[in-house]
Amino acid sequence: MMINKREKNSIVIFDIEGEIRRSDITDVTLHQLVKEQLEVGRKQILLNFDKVDFIDSFGVGEILASYISTHNLGGKLKLARISKKLFLIFQVTMLTKVLDIHDEEASALQSFFKD
Amino acid sequence: MAERRLHKILSAVVKIKPGEEVLAILVFFYFFLITAPFGIVKSLRDANFLDDLKVENLPFAYLSAILIAVAVSFHAKLQSRISRRLLLQSTLAFFILTGLLFWALFSTPDHWKGLALIYWMWANLFVVALTTQFWFLVNDVFNPREAKRLIGFFGSGGILGGVAGNLLPGFLAKPETSHRLLLASTAFLCACLVVVSLIFSWLEKNEDRFASAPGREPKTKRKEPRHVGLWDSFRSVRSDAYLRLMAWVVLATGIVSTFIDWQSKSVIASSPEANVNYVRFFGRFNAGILVFAFLFQLVLTSRFINRFGIRTGLMIYPLIILLCSVGLGIFPASLALAIAIKGGDKALSYSINQSSRELLYIPVLPEMKYRAKVFIDMFLNRFSKAVGGVILLGLIYLVKRPPFAAIGFEPLVWVSVASGAFVIVWIVLNARISRAYVREVKGQLAKKWERADEVVADRMDVDTAKLVVDAIESRTQSSTLFALHLYDLARQNRLSPEIRNLLALKPIERSSSDTRPLFEYDASPWIADFEEPGSPAEMDKEIREILALEEYQKVMGDYAGKVLEDKDARSETARMELAKAIGLMDGRSALADKLDDLLGDDSAKVFQYSAESAGKLKKKVHVPLLARKLADPKTCEDARSALERYRGAIAGALSDYLNDVEEKPEIREQAASLLARIADQEAADSLIEALGRGQDVLKNALIDALDRLRSEVPEVQFKDEVVRAQFAAEIERFGPVKNPSDLLPLFKLLGLIYDHEDVFRAYQNLFKGTKDSIAYAVELLDHTVSQDIKERLFPLLESFSGRRSGIS
Repeated sequence: MMINKREKNSIVIFDIEGEIRRSDITDVTLHQLVKEQLEVGRKQILLNFDKVDFIDSFGVGEILASYISTHNLGGKLKLARISKKLFLIFQVTMLTKVLDIHDEEASALQSFFKD
Repeated sequence: MAERRLHKILSAVVKIKPGEEVLAILVFFYFFLITAPFGIVKSLRDANFLDDLKVENLPFAYLSAILIAVAVSFHAKLQSRISRRLLLQSTLAFFILTGLLFWALFSTPDHWKGLALIYWMWANLFVVALTTQFWFLVNDVFNPREAKRLIGFFGSGGILGGVAGNLLPGFLAKPETSHRLLLASTAFLCACLVVVSLIFSWLEKNEDRFASAPGREPKTKRKEPRHVGLWDSFRSVRSDAYLRLMAWVVLATGIVSTFIDWQSKSVIASSPEANVNYVRFFGRFNAGILVFAFLFQLVLTSRFINRFGIRTGLMIYPLIILLCSVGLGIFPASLALAIAIKGGDKALSYSINQSSRELLYIPVLPEMKYRAKVFIDMFLNRFSKAVGGVILLGLIYLVKRPPFAAIGFEPLVWVSVASGAFVIVWIVLNARISRAYVREVKGQLAKKWERADEVVADRMDVDTAKLVVDAIESRTQSSTLFALHLYDLARQNRLSPEIRNLLALKPIERSSSDTRPLFEYDASPWIADFEEPGSPAEMDKEIREILALEEYQKVMGDYAGKVLEDKDARSETARMELAKAIGLMDGRSALADKLDDLLGDDSAKVFQYSAESAGKLKKKVHVPLLARKLADPKTCEDARSALERYRGAIAGALSDYLNDVEEKPEIREQAASLLARIADQEAADSLIEALGRGQDVLKNALIDALDRLRSEVPEVQFKDEVVRAQFAAEIERFGPVKNPSDLLPLFKLLGLIYDHEDVFRAYQNLFKGTKDSIAYAVELLDHTVSQDIKERLFPLLESFSGRRSGIS
């Protein structure tokens, strides 16, 4: 898994690449990266899953932990370009009711301004 | 008025129905008038033979029975070509004329001695033809139940005729002029001709009542006569296991009867008391045993068969013969034993054995019965005597030669021993046929309908149907709910191509608020995801891991809290989604506790999903919440379905609800029904105990529940005494039955202690079947339930539909 950070209109965007799975834990996890941003006051975070091939429950746990941390500090965490399969899993687990999920990065970015 | 008086008189001796009186009396006299000449003809037959050809030649006379086959074959052809009326009348005319001819020949001084053998054969043909024709008529006119009810009355007419016929030679016969009695026999036959004509005239006038009897077809559309030859009849018997067994019984009976005849005549021929005037001796002897047979038939036969059934009816005759045969083997010169064995043979064969054997035809289809009777009753009945004759000849030849001769026993002793051996074979065959009889009666009773709950359970996958319907409904309501349903279907491997196509259909209206492409209602792409190889199992694993995540529980816990706080109608869908999702979780998770609130939700839809999840989690804490909803018609079914999934784990709780007199009756009834679904011995015991407590308000629910449990698990046992007591209490309450379904609880109770399938076949056929199947149904009950139940139940059935069902 590779995670690249970029910024757009003061929104932190994490471009995630590869597979997010328990067996493939990197030195720095997604949650740690999000927390680092929260610690420096960046509370608007977008996770872009465009190049993610696979996410297991560990990966979902990372997303949820990131969501909780952001939410607890009054920030916003949104998701974009997730696979149909992951969306289906989110539907079944009702996470679509909690997580803000967008088809495209642009619409996700726009939504930060609408909130 | 006259008919009512006649009915009253006849009712004293026979269970007769209004409208049957005239016909029953005519049939009674028909039998009387053919058996009266039998007495004369047979006394003359035996006496002539012993006088002219001696007892040593008797086995040859028995052998002559083989010639009866030719006559039977001719009779069978005749029967298939002419109407029953013409057949009966022409046969009577034939025997009147030939009887006169024999009178003329015997009147000739120094007549040919061989005439005694020809007369023997004629006499046998006389008996077999007229008897068979009589039973043909009885079978034509009466259905099995009617015949069973009236058979004792007709039979007693026959025996009375035999007594009268035998008394004539018994008192009037003189050594040189006894053949003049043949004139008396022709006089009886002339009277019989008149009675037969009256029977057919009566039947024509009452065509509506006896519309099915042959010989009484509407004049405009007369049926083709049945062409049943002896060979056809033999093939029919050979092709049917039950009829084959019946044929073996008749063969064994005939062989034993021949042995007995020889045994008794051997003793009688050497007895000085008898050989002075054989005609007079046989006349008195036959009259005496027929008086006994008449009394037995009139008083005991019907009652005996009704009380003890066909099996005992068939056994009593060979057992008595066996006893006498053993006695004759020990005391070979005893005239008393010779009279006893012959007397027992005749008395019992005319009464209980004849009646029981006719009843054995009940489960045989009418067409088959006619075919079989030609071979069994007309041919084999006589042929068996010939077989007996051959065996007898061989046996006598054998025992007169070494090494048997060296033992020093009389041939009579050897014959008695052989006779005993054949009786044992006969008893075994009788035991087998009485078992086969009940099987055949059952075989004739087609099940008219299946239990609706069993049909639904067997042929429909109700859970899948509900899931698919809910999934379709959820498509326009919530994509989350839809996804949850799809996931459920996929997990259970129920996404068949048909269901997939059904779910992929676009709904007519599309929600304007949904704009996301992923929310397209064309579900095909989603379904494809569920169908990737290994996908459902893999996805299931992932989902369960996610649900178990601490982070997930926290995030969704907060969400659930908000959803539950908002009881607004608009949040109903969110509550439904939450309720459905909780069903996927571990029962020990914090989120699962939210189900307590959801089960108390006022919305029936929310409760539907909550109950479904509760059924999956099976937490006992939810049982009272579900039970409370059993009283509400809107939520009852869902609560039931959920509680059913707990199976035996809640048997105790359900039993408590059932016995709690302060609980709502609806909940107690549902508890009974749920216990039935648990379907184990503990549930059965709880239900039967509740029934035993005599809780009137729950009585029907308890009987229904017990019946369902019994039908699902036939091996479950119920306390016999409780069921019988309840049956007795139920039946006490009945007045005249107006509606068949009134009787259903009684049959349900019977189904608990007797074969459930048999009892319900009988019930269904009683009230929905054809006339014959109704008769078979009563016959089956007759052989299934105990005497005390029969005594209570049958009058009740009669009061409902005596004539319609033919119930006696």
